[in-house]
Amino acid sequence: MDWLEDELRRALAREEPPVGFAKRVIARSARGPSGARRWLAAAAMVVVAVGAAGAWRQHQGYQTKQELMLALRLASAPMHRVQLEVKDISQ
Amino acid sequence: MKTLLIACLAALPVLGAPQQFQLNLDAVAAKSSQHVDVFLNASTLQLAAKFLDGDDPDEAKVRKLIEGIEGIYVRHYNFKSAGTWTQADLEPIRAQLRGPEWSKIVGVTRTEEGGSTEVWLRLAGNKSIGVAIIATDPKEVTVVNIAGNINLKALAELGGHFGVPKVKPAEKPKKEE
Amino acid sequence: MLTEAVETGCDFRALVRQHQATVFSIALHFLRDRATAEEVAQEVFFSLHRNLHQIETPAHAAAWLRKVAVQRSIDEGRRRSRRPQVALADVAEPAACIRPGDPLLSELLRKLVATLPEAPRMVMVLRYQEDLEPAEIAAALEMPVATVKSHLQRSLALLREKLARCGVGESGWTG
Repeated sequence: MDWLEDELRRALAREEPPVGFAKRVIARSARGPSGARRWLAAAAMVVVAVGAAGAWRQHQGYQTKQELMLALRLASAPMHRVQLEVKDISQ
Repeated sequence: MKTLLIACLAALPVLGAPQQFQLNLDAVAAKSSQHVDVFLNASTLQLAAKFLDGDDPDEAKVRKLIEGIEGIYVRHYNFKSAGTWTQADLEPIRAQLRGPEWSKIVGVTRTEEGGSTEVWLRLAGNKSIGVAIIATDPKEVTVVNIAGNINLKALAELGGHFGVPKVKPAEKPKKEE
Repeated sequence: MLTEAVETGCDFRALVRQHQATVFSIALHFLRDRATAEEVAQEVFFSLHRNLHQIETPAHAAAWLRKVAVQRSIDEGRRRSRRPQVALADVAEPAACIRPGDPLLSELLRKLVATLPEAPRMVMVLRYQEDLEPAEIAAALEMPVATVKSHLQRSLALLREKLARCGVGESGWTG
């Protein structure tokens, strides 16, 4: 095997993050900003506590947001690809 | 044919700019194994924006990105095998984009892998008021219209950065000698 | 919903412990700054936590984490790009020649890789840290396989040239 590639594997071998990294990430995630799961759980509670009209709006808003994210993902993927390709050509 | 249809029109009044060209892709739809439609006009975009989490860096970027836009209309198709759709199937779209108000700003063709990406701008004077994207792969076709003013660089940089990139762990290819 | 994680085997804590070195190292080798790499790695896992419900299998999680780590590292690199960067030509050659296997060689290689432009730098990290094949790198970076191979070839040639000036090369290698 090529000596330089061997050395590169050695140089770029994975390193552990600082001590306590996993603990900090797990702890912060548990308290962190609402994720989609919390949105769903919160929406479920709202249906019971607030009433049908408000809950429907909440649910509709969340659904619409998901559709927006999907639309942007579908639109941005080809743009991102082209950006990389054009950058490669110009380098 | 398995169809996954997501439309967001029914309960909301139609306000703001409709799509800037007809996304009439019946020929493509008929051949597809799966398709996704997302049609969001101004009022639905406003509703969605209210539910974006400003503390989430990705969603904050999205909120900024959609500030100037009035509608997003997407049709996306998957096919079981390559060679199912043809360039002729996209002619109803391209014919509309050949109008004087549209200018093609990007055209990339991938001869080795197949597929292409075209980006068109709709202009009113010197101002961009819309974008059309036609992205194809041998087994995928995506057509997008974004009505309004959008930062294309920001849109490109958003690509794959939020949500879950559809990354399936690929079969590990044979090691090269 | 809450049982999905258990059913798919995608427990967040386990994923953090299993993949923290990968995610942190991608950021570290790309950005060459431990504190920033730690911040980027944290952001990647926070993003995983928010999107965990969409992860289908542990293997999917691994590929997802790698891809997001790559993207966030590149983003952070661009944010910092206004600061003066060390060019490849400016990386100081060591006063004494380095022998293969010398820890200084690893450090020198890391510095040299960090001076590569964004795309080839990440290609090198994914190739030599993660041992990915060009096709896998192409998928992670959404670039053509031919471009990946070209980046690898050119980057290796540049590194060889730089190292040869110090006598570190095939002629100086006895291992």
